[in-house]
Amino acid sequence: MAASARRRRVAAAGALTGALWLATMCLLPLCGFPLLSHPAFRSLTIPSRVVLSGAAGAVLLSAAMTGSVLLDLHWNESLVAGAAVLLACGLRLLLGKERAQPPSAEPADRLTVAAHALSAAAVAIAYLGARSGSATSPDLVFFWGAKAQQFAAARTIDVTFLENAFHRYMHLYYPPFVTNVYAFATMAAGRFPWTAAVLTFPLLLAALAIGLPGLLPRRAAAAWSALAVAAIAYAGIAADVAGNGEMPLLLLETLAVALLVSPDASRASTQLLAGILLAGAVTAKVEGLPFALAACAVFLVRARRPRAPAAARLLLPLVVCLGAWFFFGATRRLFYGYAGEGRMLDLYPARLATVLRLVGAALASTGYALPWLVPLAVLPFAGRPRGAAWIPLGTAAALTGFFVFTYLHRAEDPTLWITWSAPRIFMSVAMLLVIAAASNASGPSTPTRSRAAPSPR
Amino acid sequence: MPLRQSVRLAAPLFGAAVLVAFAAASLPWKSGVFARPRTPFDRSAASSVAPGFALLRAAADVIPAGAVVVARTEPRDPVHETYLHRFALALLPGREVLPAAYYGQATPPEVWGRAEYVVVVGARPADPPGTLLKETGEGSVWRRRPGGDESQRQAP
Repeated sequence: MAASARRRRVAAAGALTGALWLATMCLLPLCGFPLLSHPAFRSLTIPSRVVLSGAAGAVLLSAAMTGSVLLDLHWNESLVAGAAVLLACGLRLLLGKERAQPPSAEPADRLTVAAHALSAAAVAIAYLGARSGSATSPDLVFFWGAKAQQFAAARTIDVTFLENAFHRYMHLYYPPFVTNVYAFATMAAGRFPWTAAVLTFPLLLAALAIGLPGLLPRRAAAAWSALAVAAIAYAGIAADVAGNGEMPLLLLETLAVALLVSPDASRASTQLLAGILLAGAVTAKVEGLPFALAACAVFLVRARRPRAPAAARLLLPLVVCLGAWFFFGATRRLFYGYAGEGRMLDLYPARLATVLRLVGAALASTGYALPWLVPLAVLPFAGRPRGAAWIPLGTAAALTGFFVFTYLHRAEDPTLWITWSAPRIFMSVAMLLVIAAASNASGPSTPTRSRAAPSPR
Repeated sequence: MPLRQSVRLAAPLFGAAVLVAFAAASLPWKSGVFARPRTPFDRSAASSVAPGFALLRAAADVIPAGAVVVARTEPRDPVHETYLHRFALALLPGREVLPAAYYGQATPPEVWGRAEYVVVVGARPADPPGTLLKETGEGSVWRRRPGGDESQRQAP
């Protein structure tokens, strides 16, 4: 009897800690609010601005935490959150007097209502998958959560912990966004809640479902958003991504590329915001870097001259955030870049057919490859690729090439490696196909060339 | 609305409906999707690690902060013990966790010989490593007796 009462008390305390941890995540929009409340973002819907505030706020919070580490300052929840707010205020100043018109209110038609219902169903399914222990990623325990928990206890990025020879499997060079944000929530909640951490998958998917429709070109935006959310939900459950770095990466990548194909893509404010989100993607996972570089490159090729201001807005946040991480690694003699599979051009090209077959098999075993096949099948309905659709399409092609290039590097049999990783890392490609179709379906506009870009102060 | 335009607008919705239906069908309805799982891995592809997760979480109640711990399996399995070490590091924060195996290779007893506590996933060891502190369906937690035990023999 006493043991059962004690178990109930422990479970209640655990649930409270989990709720606090997730509530801390839900408060991140406060960090990004000073930036997203600028009149330049008035053209976005309120739900999109709230979600973008959260995503940008999380990136600024992580940057503030990495900055604190570089300054040898121990983390304090209030101070790092305050520093993130100050960063947002500073970035707001860069936007000057840029203004935008509020979006016109459009009555929701049956198509939109059905699309929102499907998005809600996809999020509910992701929640059930995560909560029932069907979608948990072992990587949550292996390194994402383990590092975040340790860093929260040490109130810094714990160099001694990373240096331990028996902790090398934790990939000490992995960038800090996910562990920083998880550590922040852990400091606020008091301890790392393993069960609640799994729920970041449906939580961030819900954020995407709420924020994405307002960013996509108006025509059938909700329907295309529902398709992206459903593809990520199904692939995420089938590939066991709950709790790992995949969903934070996908949220940042999707929001960033949606901004780059939006009718406001030529605005300085939109480019700066996309740059901040891409900086988050780059510091979330290693594969965020090729994604960001490819997306920026295709965008800049299409952008009107002069391209330097747009390039600065897109790339400077990324350079600062990733530079700070590599500076941390170099000054602590931990790492000097990303560890690859051998040297850059030491390839095994004879393995190309095998690698392609293994990637195909890995995707086929993840929901029968439907999260990729359905967006591919729907793409032709949006018409021939044109305009901004080339940004996600070009990024998808570059990313696919990069993944295959990486898989050709390992001397040993890559079967296990590809089986484990391909379904997760190719989720970005599924999302990009949907954004390309959404952008294409909106009509023959060429947003990045159509408006003059006001220069930031 | 022209038919072609209707098809164009309905295509993403139809695609989303297909994916939502397949995603729903992929959930483990028969094993009680609404029931609270014992661990976050109970129904995942990595369900083989669930017993280790449950035991290590229970072990946290009886292993004090600052203690030196090793987690191993019975019978010895270096691959499983590699994962167990990683789980122990995550689930026993504040303790020093030593590996019984690393990257699928058993570590020599010198690496983990100074462990004060042993978490054993699987059957109770034939030669008890010390004083039994806790026993669950997944395994047992021991306070090691000074001078080592049978388990200090290298795993095969």
